Parts: sequence; C-alpha cells; structure tokens
Amino acid sequence: MHHTEKHNFEPKIIAFVCTWCTYAGADLAGTSRMQYPANVRVLKFPCTGRIDPVFILKAFQQGADGVLVSGCHPGDCHYIAGNFHARRRFAAFRKLLEFVGVDLGRLQFSWVSAAEGGKWVEMVTDLTERVRGMGPMQEFRELALEEQWSGAIDTPELREAYNSI
Amino acid sequence: MTNSIDTSIYTAITEAIQDEARRILSERSVIAVVGYTAARRKGSAQPVVITQADDAGKLIFSAACVNNLAVYLTKAKKEIPKGGKIGIVVKGCDLKALVGLLGESQLKREELYLIGVPCAGVLASTAQPARELTGDTIAPKCRECDNHLPQGCDFVPDQRPVTLELAGKYSAEIARLEAMTPAERWAYWKEQFKKCIKCYACRQVCPFCFCEQCLCDRNKPQMVETTPRPAGNTAWHIVRAMHLAGRCAGCAECERVCPMDIPLNLLNRKMAKELKELYDYEAGFEVREKGPLAMYDEKDDQSFIK
Repeated sequence: MHHTEKHNFEPKIIAFVCTWCTYAGADLAGTSRMQYPANVRVLKFPCTGRIDPVFILKAFQQGADGVLVSGCHPGDCHYIAGNFHARRRFAAFRKLLEFVGVDLGRLQFSWVSAAEGGKWVEMVTDLTERVRGMGPMQEFRELALEEQWSGAIDTPELREAYNSI
Repeated sequence: MTNSIDTSIYTAITEAIQDEARRILSERSVIAVVGYTAARRKGSAQPVVITQADDAGKLIFSAACVNNLAVYLTKAKKEIPKGGKIGIVVKGCDLKALVGLLGESQLKREELYLIGVPCAGVLASTAQPARELTGDTIAPKCRECDNHLPQGCDFVPDQRPVTLELAGKYSAEIARLEAMTPAERWAYWKEQFKKCIKCYACRQVCPFCFCEQCLCDRNKPQMVETTPRPAGNTAWHIVRAMHLAGRCAGCAECERVCPMDIPLNLLNRKMAKELKELYDYEAGFEVREKGPLAMYDEKDDQSFIK
C-alpha cells in the first residue's frame, strides 16, 4: 500500500499542460502507476502557445496556491513553434509578476515530453512540497475579499452582520 | 530657480507648423492636419483636427502640448476623416508610438505626413498649463527622453531644443522597487491599484489599445473582473502591462490621464527594461513587423524552465 502522510495544508496546484507532450507524459505516469500528489488539477490545452498569461493570473485569483505550466521540449512542438513563443511570453510575464510582488516560487515552468512520466511526477511533487512549505497563497485571496470604497464604511453593526455570514 | 528650460523656440516652431500646415492643406496634399490648438484655460492646449488651410493659424506648439496625437489615427478613434493623407504633429515620444503602429500594420507611412517637433519637453500633468517649464514642472517622461528631435519626419522646423540633464525618475523608482522584498512590492502595488476606479482612461488614451473588443470587456469567459475592486484592478493593470510589453515606447499618456495618479508608466518602463535585457529589443526606433513577444529565437534563455 502507498503510504499517505497527513498534512495540515494541502495546496491547490493548477497545471496548464499541452495535450501533445505533458498531458501524454502525465498519462504515462498514470498508466505506469507512479504515485504523485493529488493536489494537482490538470488543464489540457492544445499547446503551451495557447496558454495566455491571464490564465495563470486567473488561477491565482481563483485560489490556486501554485501554478505549473508545462509543454513540449523546444523543437518538439506539434505546431512547430508554439512553445518558443510561449517561452518568451512567460519569461516576460514572470518578470512582471515578480515586479508586482508575487513570489515566483509558486510558479513553475517545465518541459515534459510524452515519454517523461517520471519527470512529471518529479515536477508535481517538487512544486507541491515547495508550495506546501510556503503556505497558502494569501495575497490574491485577501485581495479578492477586499472592497474599495465600501471598505471605508466600517461600523460595528456592519462588521457584526458581516461576521455572522 | 536656475533649472528653467528654454522654451523660446516654441514660438518659432508654432509659426513653422502653421506655415507647413497651410502649405500642405492648400496644396491638397493632405486632407487634414492633427495638431494642437490653444484651449480655453490660460496657457493650455488641446488636440485639434483642421481640414481648411485658413484654419492653420489655430495650430500652436507649447509646453502644454502634452497629448500624444498618434491615438487619433488608430482604429479606436473615428474623428479623423477617411480617404486621404493625414498630416500629424508629433513630438519624439509620439513618433515612437506611431512607429509602433506602423509596425503593427495599423497605419501606412505613405498615408501620413509627419510634422516633427523639436521638443525640449512638456509640462507634467500636475503642473498648471501656464507654468514655466523647469526641471520641477517637466513631465517625468521628458526627464528620460532620448528623442528630442524626431527622426524620419517629412518636415521638422529648424529650431534645436536646448535640454537640461535631469536625473531619471522611472529608472530610480524601478531600482527602488526591485530592491524590495516581494511582500513589500506587493504592498506597494496593492496600495496603488486600490486607488483605481476603472475609468479606463489609460486604455482610451493609449495608442496601442486599439482592439475593437478588449479582453477585459469580455464576459464569456470573463478573464478580468470589471468592477473597481482591488482584485479586478490588480488583474487589469497586470494584463494591461503584459499587453503593452514590447510595444509601449513610453509616451506616458496612461500615467498623465490617470485621475488617481497610479504610476502606470512604471510598469511599462519595467517591462521595456526587461525585454531589452532579455531580447535586446527597444520599441519605437524602427518600423518592425514583429515585436519581441511575437517572434522567437531557438536559443532564447530558458533558465527559468525546468
């Protein structure tokens, strides 16, 4: 039997993967009965070139604690150059996120081919454990709860009503 | 103060612009000229489109001519008559935006008549329009300007601007933020984005925001929350900076029009800096079909990818 450890915090990891390489790699890991954390939610895309940076942003806003973006190795893209374009876009996007103050430890990019089930397991395990160590992604969560103008109206009655929800 | 900037050439430039506009309009080589005219408030200026040679006398150039007129030539603006060559008054920074639009096939060079302005700088949005131009009242973008004399225009007045050496505000601010921890930077931007009222003035004024339907206006699926709450504001500003990365040449109109004084150009300058470091690309200097994020090199850095 596989040994499962109990943790206080189970991070939510969103993985944006390309259908041709990493999805097949994750499939291989599954069919080979390799064990990896169930924290990862896989979203399949035609290509890493289809993964808009706004998806990563949206994932964080919707409560992801970590995001993994994975696709074909350079030169292996089914659409010839999708991953090359994605590489530039993500290089720029992570610089932007870093400048805005997001800890880049929560965002991992990788190339996982259809034959690399083991590497997929390693990527997911590494990111899950790293994010577990970092704790929940509080920044976007707090932001989502914050109000702007109405935030200035803070009466005891309102606060009581709010807390009772 | 000794740091006043000599703007005496602006009078001669005004005359030169008027003469040139009169000439090209009366020869019918252009159907309209987009320029600046005096506005009602003392010393202020506003954009104007003139179609008659007799109106050429309305055109001016002064330190209050802050607008980037390139925005009027994009798809998003419909004020300009169609069906002929258009004359446009451009400062160096505006020209960079035009060059970007030419590269993105939004405009054709042969349909434009560029009247370049030798520019010593314009006033900051915080300064009253009638103020004297000094090192204190000059717009932050002008402190770091490297394009006082627009290149490649059809007509440039003979006057040459005298400029002061001023310390760059954006580069200093970027360095200050980069030295912070992620948590401190997050706190800084959170405070800034919190102020946003989602008026979208930054989008309306941006020459590069010409999409007929903005991603941020779509609601199926809704990628960016549209309400002016901190979460949606942060997303909007990140998406905005990302969509301008590699395209924005720094006319800083977004920052000028922001009613809440969010340092928007800081994000744009940071992205421009990163793209220069990563791909040795600078926007606005030559007409190029593809920007840094629309092309690739097989040897691009991928040290961040496992």
